[in-house]
Amino acid sequence: MSDLALDVVQQALNGFLFGSSYALIGIGFTMIFGVMEKLNLAFGITALGGAYAALLVFQLTRAPFPLVVLASVAAAGLIGLVVEITCFRWMPGDYPLAALMATVGMLFFVEEVIVHATNGVPRAFPAPLGQAMFDLGPWLLRGDLAFMFLVCLAVMVALWLLVFRTRLGLATRAVSQQPVAAQLCGIGLRRVNAAVFVLTGMVGGVAGALIGSAVGNLSPLLALPLTVKGLVTAVLGGLGSIPGAIVGGLLLGVVEYEALYFFGIGYRDMVTYLLLFAFLVFRPGGLFGSAARR
Amino acid sequence: MDFYVSLLTLFGFRILLGLSAYVVILTGQISLAQAGFYALGAYSAGAATALWGWPIVPAILLGAVVGGFFGFLVGFPALRVRGLFLVIATLAFTEIVRMVFLNLKYTIRVGDRTIGPAAGEGFRGITYYFEHGWSGLHILGFTWLFVAAVLLGLWLMDRSRAGAVLRAVGEDELAASSVGINLTAAKVSAMTLGGFVAGMAGALYAHYASYVSQEDFGVLLATFAIAYALVGGTGSVLGPVAGVLFFSLLIDGLRFLGDWRNLLFGVLIVAMMNLRPHGLVDAGLVRRLVGLRRRASAGA
Amino acid sequence: MPSLAPVPSSMLAIDGLAKDFGGVRAVHGVALHVAPEEILGLIGPNGSGKSTMVNLITGVFPPSAGRIVFRDRDITGWLPHQVLAAGIGRTFQNIRLFRGLTVWQNLWVAQGARAAERRFMRWLTTDRERLRQIEATLEFCRLGEKRGELAGSLAFGEQRRLELARILAADPELLLLDEPAAGMNAAEVADLSERIQALRRRGKTVVLIEHHMELVMAVADRVAVLNFGEKICEGSPAVVQDDARVREAYLGARREA
Repeated sequence: MSDLALDVVQQALNGFLFGSSYALIGIGFTMIFGVMEKLNLAFGITALGGAYAALLVFQLTRAPFPLVVLASVAAAGLIGLVVEITCFRWMPGDYPLAALMATVGMLFFVEEVIVHATNGVPRAFPAPLGQAMFDLGPWLLRGDLAFMFLVCLAVMVALWLLVFRTRLGLATRAVSQQPVAAQLCGIGLRRVNAAVFVLTGMVGGVAGALIGSAVGNLSPLLALPLTVKGLVTAVLGGLGSIPGAIVGGLLLGVVEYEALYFFGIGYRDMVTYLLLFAFLVFRPGGLFGSAARR
Repeated sequence: MDFYVSLLTLFGFRILLGLSAYVVILTGQISLAQAGFYALGAYSAGAATALWGWPIVPAILLGAVVGGFFGFLVGFPALRVRGLFLVIATLAFTEIVRMVFLNLKYTIRVGDRTIGPAAGEGFRGITYYFEHGWSGLHILGFTWLFVAAVLLGLWLMDRSRAGAVLRAVGEDELAASSVGINLTAAKVSAMTLGGFVAGMAGALYAHYASYVSQEDFGVLLATFAIAYALVGGTGSVLGPVAGVLFFSLLIDGLRFLGDWRNLLFGVLIVAMMNLRPHGLVDAGLVRRLVGLRRRASAGA
Repeated sequence: MPSLAPVPSSMLAIDGLAKDFGGVRAVHGVALHVAPEEILGLIGPNGSGKSTMVNLITGVFPPSAGRIVFRDRDITGWLPHQVLAAGIGRTFQNIRLFRGLTVWQNLWVAQGARAAERRFMRWLTTDRERLRQIEATLEFCRLGEKRGELAGSLAFGEQRRLELARILAADPELLLLDEPAAGMNAAEVADLSERIQALRRRGKTVVLIEHHMELVMAVADRVAVLNFGEKICEGSPAVVQDDARVREAYLGARREA
């Protein structure tokens, strides 16, 4: 195999593994859209906020990495609930722009809290598997990325079980398909909405911690790219489709790493956006277009 | 005094930006592309005066036309994409424009200086105002000539059938089409007009600042554009003006809070949307104000 | 049911019209013609394809097969605004007013659409003649006093009248009224009946899609009946009322419910 081909596959492997965390962020956006038919632009910062909270816990307690991730999960879940209360609970149902704008406000607010708390300086994030490398034939398997992938996979499985095997999941699916009928069947809309926000927040918290660990540090500047990549993932997969977000995230990861390799950092994001553009123009429903019903 | 002159000039750019978002929002399209049009207007007008020696008025108009042209281009694919997808697509457009300017290098030697867009370093030397001895007041007046013209033009449009047509499209596309409105024409026109106004704003800003860089023209600016329109309300052209005042008074009025005012910023947006989800100046308020005025003149 | 050959003087001639929605045949081989200045009633049980017919004629979606000819022009597949420009207007079963616009603006938006001139300045200027036409339409639908009110704040009956007034402002030759009597009380229905007949006196042609049997039988010259997307009967109101297949379609539908 030529060197070029080897590199391409290597990048694809890295991108595929890293894409699993994009998938989680995409799932967050897509689930909220599926249930509320609104975009939560504060989701990216929810994930990042969870990671920062976890960092704080780590700095205070030097806890082992799994506990750090759990702290991120808990914090992000809490932020998710706050977002639901402040940006969605009392907004008019038929005017999604109001909620959209409110989430933008929350995005600014949480980002500023982070900047204040850290003086805008990037902080190192624990990366226990930072140096682990494994040989996989002619290629290298980065331990931290492999770990990321496994954890994300576990989260997706857990999520699947939750959505398809529990009453809460059933209620969520009912609400996303027919909100009025679901209410008439006795499903408490407020509780389901709150639960979805807490749940997606927790998922985001996992992603935030993992990304922080893989990158090695956290910076408030991550907020915007995280948001955009989450949106791109959700749109690629089809807004409202969880399997779509998974595939979209993996695809985005691969595309990003390949673009980085071929074009360098200046053009990497442009490739992402052009991909997004192409999908929006030719296949606005996304890969698993269940959003075509909107 | 200089501070207030500067502030009022900045208000001008922001109002134009808000108006450009407002025009497009009327037809039900939420566009984050305004920042992209703004950037295109800024760079093209800057190039016109700094690189090609154009006089200022044609340069500003060039910026507006370039903005309008790209608005027209964006308008067509935008038809295929609904609602929140459009938000994302236009976000992508703005980012692509920004990245193009991040990589664009086109400098020429003028006299003993090298000027022109220089990729990541930005575009320096848009010094028309300085070279022609314009004072702050001159710049303020010149800027507001354009702002006033746009405000007047859009106000007239709002009162005309065209304004009602755009709003009808934003309310219910199927009904609008069924009463004879050509949806494509309406939506593309709105996007073109929005691009024109945003391009004009960018052109004016570039000359005021004399230096522009792609990092000024990203998602944050695009978000402000729609924030002016959404928080201010789309009931009338005064909505974006109210929105700009709201945000500007916040940013500058809360100066005494120092660093903390940025925190309050986000909180206030959230509070505003909870209190008045349809914005400060919504259709209901406009109706009531018009009704009040009518009653007052009837009673007089 | 043999398809009727289009009568040379027919205003609207539909031939072999069909529409599939991913496996569901909503409309199947329907042929219909409407003579100038007649009132045609279109009835059928729920789900029989009446609203689909209206949507096909007005171009909300294109048919899977068949032709629609209006005043000797083939308008099959035209977009809604083009169909209106040709002269066919419709009202909606679920009222679709521009709620944020005033009553007057609702009419104004519709009225300019058929202007033969396309000069840009038309958009910015208003014409005394056009104003007079809007006033006349408001009077016809008894909405004159409400002209400054937001459409969203009107009472239900007024909204229904506005729905009609708006399309009248566009001055179409053929009107498709999609269940205009839904939710109306007896007095309002009588009023509606009056207005439909007044429209015919003014030279309009009307296709009335309705469930309200008394209204249809009272005003319609002819009635066509749809069931499961096919036309099963056509004729004068008396003939249709006595037709065995029609009774079966309605009674049969009730039995299945």
